[in-house]
Amino acid sequence: MICAGIDAGSRAIKVVLFDHARSMVIGRGLADQGVAQPRLAEEIFAATLSKAGIDRHQVRSVVATGYGRNRVAFATTTITEITCHARGVFHLAPDTRSIVEIGGQDSKVIRLENGGRVRDFAMNDRCAAGTGRFLEILAARLDADWSKLGDLSQQSRQPALISSTCVVFAETEIIGLLAEGVPAADIAAGVQNSIATRVMAMAGRPLTAPVLFTGGVALQPGMVRALATTLDCPVQVAPEPQFTGALGAALLAARIAATASTSSP
Amino acid sequence: MLFECAHRERSERMSPTADPIAHFGAMIDRCYDYAEAAKAAGRPIVGIMCEFTPREIILAANAVPVCLCGGSAATIPAAEQVLPTNLCPLIKSTFGYHLTGNNPFLNWADLIVAETTCDGKKKMFELLGESKPMHVLELPHKANAPEALAYWTDEVRKLKTALETRFGLQITDADLRRAIRLMNRERGLRRRLAQLMRHDPPPLTGRQLLEFKSIISGMEPDLDQYESALRLLTARTAHTATTVDNRARVLLTGVPLVHGAERVLELIENSGAVVVAMENCTGLKPILDDVDELDPDPLAAIARKYYHLPCSVLTPNSGRLCTLRELAAAYRPHCVIELIWQACLTYDVESHHVRKLAEEELHLPYLKITTDYSPSDSARITARIEALLETARPD
Ligand code: SF4
Ligand code: SF4
Repeated sequence: MICAGIDAGSRAIKVVLFDHARSMVIGRGLADQGVAQPRLAEEIFAATLSKAGIDRHQVRSVVATGYGRNRVAFATTTITEITCHARGVFHLAPDTRSIVEIGGQDSKVIRLENGGRVRDFAMNDRCAAGTGRFLEILAARLDADWSKLGDLSQQSRQPALISSTCVVFAETEIIGLLAEGVPAADIAAGVQNSIATRVMAMAGRPLTAPVLFTGGVALQPGMVRALATTLDCPVQVAPEPQFTGALGAALLAARIAATASTSSP
Repeated sequence: MLFECAHRERSERMSPTADPIAHFGAMIDRCYDYAEAAKAAGRPIVGIMCEFTPREIILAANAVPVCLCGGSAATIPAAEQVLPTNLCPLIKSTFGYHLTGNNPFLNWADLIVAETTCDGKKKMFELLGESKPMHVLELPHKANAPEALAYWTDEVRKLKTALETRFGLQITDADLRRAIRLMNRERGLRRRLAQLMRHDPPPLTGRQLLEFKSIISGMEPDLDQYESALRLLTARTAHTATTVDNRARVLLTGVPLVHGAERVLELIENSGAVVVAMENCTGLKPILDDVDELDPDPLAAIARKYYHLPCSVLTPNSGRLCTLRELAAAYRPHCVIELIWQACLTYDVESHHVRKLAEEELHLPYLKITTDYSPSDSARITARIEALLETARPD
């Protein structure tokens, strides 16, 4: 039985195809998010299917998750990012007790019980301070490419202290630091620390190890160090962290298809 | 929806209807008509902003107690010209109505009772007092302290004197007792309506139940409508007793959902849940207890009932945790959602205790939502509510 998960995030749309019989991922797709969300989701889904050599009719059920989940017209049902990330992480690293996910516009902390059930979670409100948005603003300020920021932060000797809890104020703070001649590398590392601190404040309490780091921002070199230092405990990066939500969605899709087929005559 | 609607032409308003539930749909319009008629008949209008203010004293002075709390995002920009941005939206909205002159009840008010509850309200009242007659009612903040109750009783007595002086009348014990009976009847009826939500499935949504809340206290015509609504809804629960309801039952706590600011309640119920109990000041908190009708000192009895309101401005506010325990037992929620207006420090800090109670003692999933009156974060809030419901009912 083949099932699909679509994670329609604020920055990118991710697709995972999962073959239940063989218990393996048989296809992945990723596209930048845009204005024409429903069409983009449709296109990346079709492209992922054809690359995997799967016919649309073979897909038993599709779960959409993420910010744009309600705009994925072909989804069988929708499930929130929280539940999907938890499910994806449980599949990849069943021992995980805490998940930190930092995406383009939001961040979450999920605490898991034994057995992978969500114990509780926290998500950022309107504020973008603990999210990838902060890195984008920094990149624009430093005239650098987003993907280069991580490497830049690695060269830092003494991360700058960025204390504003608001992205808008922090941007002003960065301008001030630049004017003072603080090296860009130290600012980049400082921003990473600041994101980690905001995420921890959002969690509101110490996290239980093992901690798994997911979401697009986890890919950035330096972020894991920042998080591990702030948490004062080792942090693992999820394999293919961008796909954790879509994977969880595909796995939940399989469960939904299974329940549907056993309950119908 | 908001106070402004009251400016509509009389002919457009809802005609009297046989359906008591529909009757409560046009609350602001009814209050407008009622207050306008009362004013014309020479009854003073007294504006209030808090459930600590004893309605009975105002009613005993033959005045109309009207809640002035603003629930509109539209008046906030005006308020922010004067007040800091980082202030609770309820306070800003109320003050914005004052600046824009769009709240007829505030315009009519012959007196405003300024309760010293949270700092934001207390200081906003000072500004309001520059152009409005005002009486400061000081609430001592130490809960369960006999000397605080004595002080409060004295404050309530001073409120009575202030009304007597201002409106040139004498409030007798008989007046007080009449007002106590009226308010006890109102609270009792609203309480019984709210208790219908103990049924599974409940006969109303939380949003529908909130419609029964009026901004004017002691409106006698409404009480008869409450009676008929109760009869109708009680019959309805008998019919639906065997229906299976798979909506998650939610206990909502935190700040009041004043008229116009019901968005979060709607987001919760649109996510497939039903709010069976609202612990806040627009819900059960102020109607759980009555004033002792047999007390030989009616004023002291009134003061006692109001003093024991478990609001976060008191310290310690352990009464709120007791109420939550009782509500959880009686209404059998699957999860607890706490609403905090942005910059409401007392409820925000106190949420620490509420979370602990929910998770560790009641073993219920808990979600705190901090927001203001702007709808820009609705999608985000919905995601968190849905995630909570998925946690509360995983299959
Ligand atoms: S929450 Fe507290 S301050 Fe607000 S109305 Fe209720 S009792 Fe008054
Ligand atoms: S919600 Fe909080 S800050 Fe706002 S008026 Fe009530 S107690 Fe004060």
